[in-house]
Amino acid sequence: MMIEKKMIQLDKVSFSYEPGRPILQDLSLHIHKGESVGLIGANGAGKSTILKLMLGLLTAQSGTVRVDGLDMNKENIATIRRKLGFVLQNSDNQLFMPTVEEDMMFAPLNYGMDREEAEKKVDRVLEQLNLTDLKYRHNHRISGGEKRMAAIATILMMEPEAILMDEPSAALDPCNRRIVIDTIRGMDQTRLITSHDLDMILETCERVILLDKGQIVADGRTEEILKDRELLEAHRMELPFCFAGPRYR
Amino acid sequence: MHMADALLAPAVAATMYVASGAAAGVSIHQLRKDDEQQKLPTMAVTAALVFAGQMINYTIPGTGSSGHMCGGMMLSALLGPYGGFLSMIVILAIQCLFFADGGLMALGANVWNMAFYGCFVGYYLIWRPIMRSHWFGEGRGAQRARVIAASIIGCVVTLQLGAFSVVLETSLSGITDLPFGAFVAIMQPIHLAIGLIEGLITAAVLCFVLESRPELLRDAQPAGDPSKHSLRNTIIVLAAVALVVGGGLSLMASSNPDGLEWALFGNEESGYAQNMGLDEEDFGVSSSAADKAESIQEKTSFLPDYGFSGSDSSAGTTVSGIVGAALVAVVALLISFLGGFFRKKKK
Amino acid sequence: MDDASLLWFNSKAMNKMEKALHELNEMDDLAAMDSPIHHLSPLAKLLTTIAYIIITVSFHKYDLSGLMIMVLWPILLFSMTGIPVRTCFYKLRIVLPLVMAVGLFNPFFDRAPMLMLGNVPVSGGVISMVTLMLKGVFCLMASFLLIATTSIDALCAALRKLHVPGTLVTLLLLTYRYVGVMTEELAIMTDAYHLRAPGQKGIHISAWGSFLGQLLLRSMDRAQELYNSMLLRGYHDHFHYVEMKPFRMKDALYTLGWIAVFLLVRYVDVAQWMGSHVMR
Repeated sequence: MMIEKKMIQLDKVSFSYEPGRPILQDLSLHIHKGESVGLIGANGAGKSTILKLMLGLLTAQSGTVRVDGLDMNKENIATIRRKLGFVLQNSDNQLFMPTVEEDMMFAPLNYGMDREEAEKKVDRVLEQLNLTDLKYRHNHRISGGEKRMAAIATILMMEPEAILMDEPSAALDPCNRRIVIDTIRGMDQTRLITSHDLDMILETCERVILLDKGQIVADGRTEEILKDRELLEAHRMELPFCFAGPRYR
Repeated sequence: MHMADALLAPAVAATMYVASGAAAGVSIHQLRKDDEQQKLPTMAVTAALVFAGQMINYTIPGTGSSGHMCGGMMLSALLGPYGGFLSMIVILAIQCLFFADGGLMALGANVWNMAFYGCFVGYYLIWRPIMRSHWFGEGRGAQRARVIAASIIGCVVTLQLGAFSVVLETSLSGITDLPFGAFVAIMQPIHLAIGLIEGLITAAVLCFVLESRPELLRDAQPAGDPSKHSLRNTIIVLAAVALVVGGGLSLMASSNPDGLEWALFGNEESGYAQNMGLDEEDFGVSSSAADKAESIQEKTSFLPDYGFSGSDSSAGTTVSGIVGAALVAVVALLISFLGGFFRKKKK
Repeated sequence: MDDASLLWFNSKAMNKMEKALHELNEMDDLAAMDSPIHHLSPLAKLLTTIAYIIITVSFHKYDLSGLMIMVLWPILLFSMTGIPVRTCFYKLRIVLPLVMAVGLFNPFFDRAPMLMLGNVPVSGGVISMVTLMLKGVFCLMASFLLIATTSIDALCAALRKLHVPGTLVTLLLLTYRYVGVMTEELAIMTDAYHLRAPGQKGIHISAWGSFLGQLLLRSMDRAQELYNSMLLRGYHDHFHYVEMKPFRMKDALYTLGWIAVFLLVRYVDVAQWMGSHVMR
């Protein structure tokens, strides 16, 4: 029996922003290497908090967070962050250099890569994503869809082992959304995606974790969970559009 | 109040660049020392916000006209004086480069007139003392009142200083034939009104922040004893202002005989020696001690008669002005220490 | 700007912030144009512009003829780059009023006639007023041409070359990046406000605090997110900048050549020389 290596592990993690109002209570979840997992749930369920705990942006009040076998602590945090790429919901907060090219080079240069080597890598990644036109464009002038793709490009430059994405298809038109979906499907890194776009989750993730009020209420194959109308509606969700069709016509 | 290049002589512009550059250097150094480099994203975003916020039209009730916000006081209340100053520099640079609001050569002067006074004078001499005091009592209401007072007083004072500096710099550059007094009489009242409005707007925004997220405001809590550090910084700021204003004013002082001296001792060359019946050389008791004192004074003073020995240049007057201003600051320091010493003794 | 855009720009429909955004984007587009000047090193352009401004401002207030020659350099650049002069002159609306307000007093205080235009005496005050205004216009043209031919990152690379501290340059780059974002958000908020307060011209006193205050609080959160995303990509405290391309021979020739010309014009009365030859 092949033992799948755990990429990200949360064990009995509890977290609250304010005392007396816990967001997560004794939550445990594991993401295995190579998996593509969708994290779904209503607003305020705790999805973003889980991502931030994994990235070390928040510290759990109890329980442990482990990434690729490393405990989340001061000594390991830099190494852990090198292994994880994070695509923010608001691309404006991610693309802070003047041009796309400079933004893409930000991480490699910080990690000690030679400038010439980094420039070559920029060309490779842009070609891989079909985005060569974006190279010299200014970040404040490109469209929302282009920003999202540029953000993904900057993360791929890090060659992370796992990619975390917060609402990657939010505010995108159908065409750009399709490009993002195709890009995610083309990745071979471990992926953890939070989204309200259940149809996208269906197309990109083989496993889904349903979160409600800081508790995991379902964890299993995407097809099974996203076809369970009762389960979804009990936790402030609906069936994906492609199963349910429009309610009003 | 943004000055164009045409309003300054290169020498004045260069001096102001040096002054602003020094303040910027100090700010950067202090930021690194306080390990506030991570505040860069906050400074950038806040600076961008203030830049945009200066375009908001605030309707002044009852007048039908509108007011705008400056930024110095608000930035230093949120980011501290050093972070605030650097943010203002960047805002002024972007305004200068992309919107032609202020000249490139005049940037040093604009930074001094708007950012230095707004951030350093505004913070050390007005915001912090008021916020850390017990004015208006205790409690949230009192804190609000302190924020309002500090904002209004801060904006009014810093704008007055800024406007006065504009007049000084323009007059020193020899750009205008408008007499100094008339220029001041026009600039100051206008900027008094502007300062009041800006102060009220700043107060409104900072009160909002105080209600929602007080931890974002500097010195939101009254402190016990003022630290030695803050007294030192206050004095440094006072000294810098005295240096620039004193130096500038003394340059403005005409090379004609001082009015009072002329009236008292006359001007022999013009034949008025007998007018008032007084002669400087013969006035006072003549004694060997006085003669000896005079010869010592001549030898030790390197700025006899308010100018470089043997030179007639304005540069000499400036150095005198600076030395004079520095001496005044030192005396002020001595007086404050002595006063503190005497107060302690009384207890 | 084409005619259609100009109509839209001038219409009341655009609020102040939208206009500012438009101006920012315009400077961006101009800097992306293609001309020999655009390809020059940003350091060359910066140094030449600074020299031009200093030398222009140093002309004596009565030296009108000498000053006039200085207009030739910006005019030459406008024609070499194809940058529209209209865009430059639109920016005069901010700086010219104060310059004029200061200069307007000169004819009242300085009345001694300096020269005769036919039978009309022209006082020194009038001449100094005119030179003041011309200096204002010429210096503005020079700064405008600098930014219209140099993108912000190229300019920052030049500043770094001049040893301007990294902290300040990073702050300039980051602030510039977010100025557009903030201006746009405020523009939307302003429109939303006016849609619910159609009679008002500006923000009513009851909303003075909350209007900007709300955005300020959200911006603090945004700043935290921004800082997080920098940390997650390995940022410690050092920003890596795009390095300026090396200063080439033609950049040096451009800089030194033009500075020499400016100094010549400043210290030799070229106009007088030309005029005297013509009048012979």
